[in-house]
Amino acid sequence: MADDSLPYRRTLVPSGVFLPHVIEDIQAKAESGLYRIRGYGTLRPRHWATFDDLTFLPCSLTRIPLEGYRERCLTRTVLGTRFAQKPIELDLPVMITGMSWGALSYNAKVALARGAAMVGSSNTTGDGGMLMAERENSKTLIYEVLPSRYGINIHHMKMADGIELTIGQGAKPGTGGLLLGSKVSDTIAGQRDLPIGVDQRSPARHPDFLGPDDMIIKVEELREATDWQVPIVIKMGATRVFDDVKLAAKAGADVIVVDGMEGGTGASPAILQEHTGIPTLAAVCEARKALEDCGLYGEVQLIIAGGIRDGVDAAKAMALGADAVYIGTAALVALNCNRPLYVEDYRKLGTEPHYCHHCHTGRCPVGITTQDPELMERLNIEEGAARVANLLRAMTLEIQMLARACGKSDVHHLEPEDMAALTPEASAICAIPLAGTRKIFGG
Amino acid sequence: MAGIDCGDRSAREINAEIRQLIQAGHNDIWISNPGARHNLGVGLCVAARIHIQGSVGYYGAGLIDGPTFEIAGEAGWGLAESMLSGNVLVRGNAGNGAAAGIRGGTVVIYGSAAARLGISMKGGLVLVAGDCGYMAGFMGQKGTLIVCGDAGEAFADCMYETVCFVGGSIAELGNDAVVKQPTPEEAGFLDATLERYLTPEIRAKKPPGRDFKKVVAGRKLWNFDQREWQAWQEAL
Repeated sequence: MADDSLPYRRTLVPSGVFLPHVIEDIQAKAESGLYRIRGYGTLRPRHWATFDDLTFLPCSLTRIPLEGYRERCLTRTVLGTRFAQKPIELDLPVMITGMSWGALSYNAKVALARGAAMVGSSNTTGDGGMLMAERENSKTLIYEVLPSRYGINIHHMKMADGIELTIGQGAKPGTGGLLLGSKVSDTIAGQRDLPIGVDQRSPARHPDFLGPDDMIIKVEELREATDWQVPIVIKMGATRVFDDVKLAAKAGADVIVVDGMEGGTGASPAILQEHTGIPTLAAVCEARKALEDCGLYGEVQLIIAGGIRDGVDAAKAMALGADAVYIGTAALVALNCNRPLYVEDYRKLGTEPHYCHHCHTGRCPVGITTQDPELMERLNIEEGAARVANLLRAMTLEIQMLARACGKSDVHHLEPEDMAALTPEASAICAIPLAGTRKIFGG
Repeated sequence: MAGIDCGDRSAREINAEIRQLIQAGHNDIWISNPGARHNLGVGLCVAARIHIQGSVGYYGAGLIDGPTFEIAGEAGWGLAESMLSGNVLVRGNAGNGAAAGIRGGTVVIYGSAAARLGISMKGGLVLVAGDCGYMAGFMGQKGTLIVCGDAGEAFADCMYETVCFVGGSIAELGNDAVVKQPTPEEAGFLDATLERYLTPEIRAKKPPGRDFKKVVAGRKLWNFDQREWQAWQEAL
């Protein structure tokens, strides 16, 4: 009998090191001579501690639950109470993060703004400045000041409800933005003062300050520019969170955003998305400790971002210390990202619905991450806005559901004691006892 | 004409008074004893004339649209950063990142500028009568940058469409920076600009427009391209 007739000879066993996607990666680089670029965020299976490694401990005899479907559980969220004359007041604690007009289509930006406004939430501009239609459709709009300063405009800053000084983002901390030439259309190039079609690489550092001491003066400048009216938010990718949060708080931030490594991006070298930054769960724990350490927990509000998928992730982040969460990719998924529509166009990109991370190509089959007018038309603003509003509503109901079950009449009253850890790692990171024990690992 | 003595007041109080005076109809405001305060004049969006009789700290005349600032002393970091329009004239030297990210208007520095002059500028005109430090013009997108004296290292690094002119020597060109001869029109523009902003005595010490070096982007870094691997290795 020939060897190849044996059944075991037909079992395909890949290398444990050179897996199929690793082989593809090496061969792609061997052809192009460049690192791989893509969008969407990390594709790695998450073997690190995540919000899934925590479980809520609803009331039984030791605590009394609220009626899940009846009793009041407040969701009003106030951010920027430290120095701003007009803090941001939202009806719910789930906000839309900064995503640029350029990375996203006009329709996507307007749909996000309108959807957030419909439920009393906020949205954020992004690299490339303010789209006027975004302002007109927003209730609360946060204006990002990024290292690139593309599209920066003092008049737009004065129209904003908050200023977000962005130091970095979770998907690629320590590097600047990237917008490939296919998306640098004449409109986007005009907005950013760039030549049409360049592969736009944004700077990583702000042009006019370097470290935390200079940033104190920068924060004051932004307050002067906006007459001390609106909150100054400082956003950072999650790396050395404990130190960075303390420095940002001491620099005078009203609100701090920490964006974990599961955060998304429109385009970035793939290795940065996979191998830089720390997970969102770890980030929120470090951020809270930092604010407590400098006596500013509760005075400086904390927003957590990076791969927040639903009300459960949001509720866990809030129980660990966040005042609110940002969503980005989840909001795009609400707009039909990765939905099985126009399947042939996914295949033209070499992908399938549910697997697409081709935001960087500008050929988004559902009209979200594109500047192509025909593709953009596929995203109906009204329908998109309604879907975003519905997602924000549903997430808020999920947070309330968990909060009531834990006996809380305000979602901001959720606390670490409302949860148990399911793994020793999560226990150690969150300082929460492992389920079945009274033990905090590593504590 | 109106005056403000900064005394021991904060920039916030001084800026508020500037706005109040402008609202009251004063278009010429003299500010004495600025004490190199940070953030003086930030965010002003009217066509008033502000004379600062001394030095300013960080972000002097930052984020403005329309006014003219005449600063009799020196300027700290981020002078006129992100300006949309207006004029900012500094009699002394300017610190790092002068005219960073400006989208329009004119910045004139009669002394010398430190590092990263005109970094990420997106429009407007920057004129330095003296020298400039390293990385001037870095990632310049649009606008015109003129340095009458010598330029430091990594000059005009990784630029898009900013056009730079240097009257003296260039210590080192930045990545993708290319030296060209000014066209006759550009030489005429340089002569007219220098004549407009410099006194005849200072102008006489500067080279004629035709002798300036013009520096622009070689456009090798505008799009990812493996043929330019060496340039990319240095750029990133």
